[in-house]
Amino acid sequence: MASTITARDLTKTFKGPVVAVTGMDLDIPEGAVFGLIGRNGAGKTTTLRLLMGLIRPDSGCCQVLGNDMIAAGSQVRQKVAYVAQSLQLPGWMSVEDLCRCHRHYYSLWDDDLAGRLARQWEVPYARPVSQLSGGQQRQAAILLALAARPRVLLLDEPAAGLDLVARRELLSGLVDALCQEEGCTVVLSTHLIGDLERVADHIGIMDRGRLTACVRLEELLQTTRRVQVVFDQSEVPEGFTIPGARSCHVRGPVISAVVRLTEAEQLRRLREMPGARVNIFSMNLEDIFLDWFDRDGGGRSMVSDDQEDFSLS
Amino acid sequence: MALHFQIDGQSGLPVYRQLMDQIKYYVASGALVSGDQLPSIRELAQSLALNPTTIVKAYNELAHERVIELRQGKGAFVGAQASMLSAREREKMLRRMARQLAVEASQMGIEMGRLAQLLEEEAREVQGNRSSAEGLAPVVVAGLKR
Repeated sequence: MASTITARDLTKTFKGPVVAVTGMDLDIPEGAVFGLIGRNGAGKTTTLRLLMGLIRPDSGCCQVLGNDMIAAGSQVRQKVAYVAQSLQLPGWMSVEDLCRCHRHYYSLWDDDLAGRLARQWEVPYARPVSQLSGGQQRQAAILLALAARPRVLLLDEPAAGLDLVARRELLSGLVDALCQEEGCTVVLSTHLIGDLERVADHIGIMDRGRLTACVRLEELLQTTRRVQVVFDQSEVPEGFTIPGARSCHVRGPVISAVVRLTEAEQLRRLREMPGARVNIFSMNLEDIFLDWFDRDGGGRSMVSDDQEDFSLS
Repeated sequence: MALHFQIDGQSGLPVYRQLMDQIKYYVASGALVSGDQLPSIRELAQSLALNPTTIVKAYNELAHERVIELRQGKGAFVGAQASMLSAREREKMLRRMARQLAVEASQMGIEMGRLAQLLEEEAREVQGNRSSAEGLAPVVVAGLKR
C-alpha cells in the first residue's frame, strides 16, 4: 500500500543541545490512524511540526502525500490539516468568522459539516473565540480542521482539556472523517491511551527522540503477554529467566515478565515448564505502554536496536 | 431492536474480538435471530467511536464463521445457520467463562470440590430466581464483560 507519510533518518536538535527527534524512519500507510505515544518531551510534537514543514530538519527528510511540506504549495496544503497543541485561533474572531475565512482556502470546505459539528459539540458559533472555554477553543480548532475535509489530519494532543463527553464526540468526529469516501489518514499524539485504543490501528512509541516501536496495534495486543511463573518451591531457582523476556521481576517464588510471543510454540514451551505453574495474561495498550517505560526494565526497543520484525505493513 | 455494545479498554482483548463476542452472545441468547439486520459499519463506528476498519474486521470474521452474512450493498444480516451455530457457540462461551473462573480459583488456592459446590449453589439460586427476575442473561453478560 502507498505510504501517505514517510520519513527517512529524520533528525532535529534544538539549542541546548536538546535532541528532539533522531534517526526517525516512518511509513504511515494511506487510511491509517496512527497514534503517537510517549512520555512528555519524547519528541511527539516536534515530529508533527517536522511533518507539517513548520520547522526544518537538521538532516533527513519527510514527505506528506509525496511532498516536502516546506516547499508545498496551496494545492497540497489544503489537503493537510494540523491542529497544534497550543491554541492559536485569533481571539477576536468567532467560529462563524473563521469558517467564512477558511472557506476560501480549502476547495473541499464543508460548511454543513462545520455547522453540524458546532451544534453537536455545543461550540458557540457566533461568540468571539477568546470568550470560549479552553475545551471549546480546542473543539473549534478541530472542527475547522475536519470541515476542510483533509486527506491527512495531524492532531497534537487533541483531547487535552476535554471532558469525557467532549472526548467521545471528538472521536466520533474523527470516525466521521474516516468514513468519507476519499478516506483520511490521521496521525495523533495523545496521552489518553484508552481513547487511542478505540480508533488507532497503528501505534508509534517515542522515547527520548527515537521511534522505538512502530507496529500495528492488533499485532501488538495479540503478541504481548504478561507471563508469571509460580514455582512450587519457596524461591525462584538461581539464574532462572523467562525465555524471550528482556527483564524479569522476582518476588519470592514468583517471577514475572512481559514477553512478546511471536509463535504458538513459545507459548506451549512456557506452559510445559516442570515444577512450576505458568499464568499468562493479555495486556491492554496502557499496560504495554507502562511496561515499556518501566526503567527498571532498562527500556526497550522494537525497531532500532534489534531491527526486529515490527514495521508498518 | 437497539443493540447495546460495550467496549472495555481494560480487557486486553482486541476491540474487534470484543465486538464479535457480543454479537455472538446476542445470537446465542436469541436476541438476534436469522435474517435480522445488523447496524451499518458507519452507524456502529460512530455510535461506539471506533475505527470503521475495526467494525469491518469484526463483520468479516463473523461472516467467515457464518454467524452473519454480508450482502452486497444491503448490509450485514444474521446468517441462516446462526441458530444452529448458537448451541455450539453457547457452549464455547460458557467454557471460556468457566476457564476464567477455574484459573482465578486456582490462583486463590480454592479446591476443585469447593469450586464445584460454589457454582452449583449459584446456579441453583439463579434458576430459582429465574421465574421472578430477569433470568440468566445479566449474569452471562456480566461474565462476558470481564
